[in-house]
Amino acid sequence: MTGSTAAVARWPGRDSALIAARQLRVLRLNPGRLIYPLVQPVVLLVLFVSVLGNLSVAHDAAAGAYRQFLIPGIFLQNAALTAPSTGLGILRDAASGLADRFRSLPMSRSAVLVGRLAGDAVVFAVQAILLLAVASVLGFRMRTGLPGMAATVLVTVSFGIAIAVVSAWLALLIGDAEAAERVLFFPAIAITFLSSAFAPAGELAGWIRPIARVNPVSAGADLVRSLAAGGPAAGPLILLGCWLAALVLIPGMLAVRRWRSPT
Amino acid sequence: MSDPIPTLVRPAIAVTGLAKSFGPVTALAGIDLTIGEGTLAALLGPNGAGKTTLVRILATLIRPDAGQARVLGFDVVTDAAQVRARIGLTGQYAGLDEAMTGRDNLLLIGQLAGLRHRQAAARAADLAEQFGLHGAAARLVRTYSGGMRRRLDLAASLMTRPPVLVLDEPTSGLDPASRQQLWAVLAQLRAGGTTMLLTTQYLEEADRFADIVHVLQHGVLIASGTVAQLKRRVAGSVVEIRLQDPQTAPAAGQVVAARLSLPAGAVRADTATGRLTVTVRADSSGADDLLAAAAALRDDSIGIADISLRQPSLDETFLALTAPAGIPA
Repeated sequence: MTGSTAAVARWPGRDSALIAARQLRVLRLNPGRLIYPLVQPVVLLVLFVSVLGNLSVAHDAAAGAYRQFLIPGIFLQNAALTAPSTGLGILRDAASGLADRFRSLPMSRSAVLVGRLAGDAVVFAVQAILLLAVASVLGFRMRTGLPGMAATVLVTVSFGIAIAVVSAWLALLIGDAEAAERVLFFPAIAITFLSSAFAPAGELAGWIRPIARVNPVSAGADLVRSLAAGGPAAGPLILLGCWLAALVLIPGMLAVRRWRSPT
Repeated sequence: MSDPIPTLVRPAIAVTGLAKSFGPVTALAGIDLTIGEGTLAALLGPNGAGKTTLVRILATLIRPDAGQARVLGFDVVTDAAQVRARIGLTGQYAGLDEAMTGRDNLLLIGQLAGLRHRQAAARAADLAEQFGLHGAAARLVRTYSGGMRRRLDLAASLMTRPPVLVLDEPTSGLDPASRQQLWAVLAQLRAGGTTMLLTTQYLEEADRFADIVHVLQHGVLIASGTVAQLKRRVAGSVVEIRLQDPQTAPAAGQVVAARLSLPAGAVRADTATGRLTVTVRADSSGADDLLAAAAALRDDSIGIADISLRQPSLDETFLALTAPAGIPA
């Protein structure tokens, strides 16, 4: 017997870091995979602002006021539209046999999800910084300066991760990559339209208003608006915090359990 | 069910009463199987026999409904972590990330299996060299041929030198040269004392390389032994008859089966070529059966152009083992 190499003491952090590093390694070796998460949001931002940026929502609004309102909504929308790639990536691994390989290794089983989310967080952060840069070129003003920008990145990244957790859970439930591709994007689009991302909740159709008032997209967009204006942020911050905790914990635990459980 | 195989060494894999169903489909219907340490065992069977299910249970990917499976003494359900630390899996689909290089894959899997970075890097370099992937280690796996993927996948399974290796159809879809290379690697591993269980649909392959063959069908282990033992046990000699008139083949088949008291499945009649292939009982003399068949056909005035006696081919042995009685294989 050649003697099997004894496993070093394992902690989930190391395995998660290895999985996250793999994510980033793949992006480095395949820069084409960055086109969707980086180029598309910029294109969407420019298009939305070009088409809608000069509208006057309120009659007494100053020129450019709607632009200032719309851009935070687009930040959140992009995070929601990027999140399904987490679930789809998990299914891609499952289809290739890599998921079986991971499950047969003496590794931490939550690491596959935690590590992937950590890798995706880097993508969300780069996306948010890029969007902020393009937005300021388009006339978006952040009155709270650099701390406000950092807080905006934090808000969009944590919102994106929360939705990514949900997408991971749904993807594992659906199991089939092709079906998941159709299913995962729909709720991501729906929640941005049922929110105050594009119009103040008070201006929306009556039946949407109650949904929009509790929607995490509204909370995130309103929080970024408050940061940009230097206004009070406690309300949206509390609502968003509750949502993030709920979305990360419940679907997160269900996703890990689904990943772990051998059939 | 299985022959008592004298196991002089302690079992690396011990399976008792193992059963698993997927909804209405029974994949494993209670099997007992012991594989001694250092043995290369082949699990042979047609598609849907339950081979992959057994491999996946041993690799802790799925749980059995009933029965027990132990790897080096550790239960695959209650001691799954211990089993994972000792077993290497090479599945039917390469467990690799195509968007990374070969070396990246080996490093990732080695480190996830518990190696430190430096150990993993050294081991990856050794394995790439040994598997003829040295020049390709820095290339994306996406650019690899099927044979290279298989070898890389196997190399990944070997990063931590697992004492037990399970391989699910490791040679399927490979060209003959890649198949030879893979078998050379497996022979090396066996020489190093690794216990291996591999599934295959090729009896010839099992015959040439495995120490022992277990034949699985419909979730039941129907035979175990060396290929020579299996041949002796299940299929006797083959009497081959060429008829003067090919049209008489079906009638001739019935006559011969009746005279030799064989099930219909033991006689294959081909009206296109006028050829009868008769697999006689393992315990009877082939020569007597040949004479009896010739006499039966003469009695019925069925003309024989040629008649001969030969050993069964491997395919015939496999078919004889797995064909349901009464249905011509």
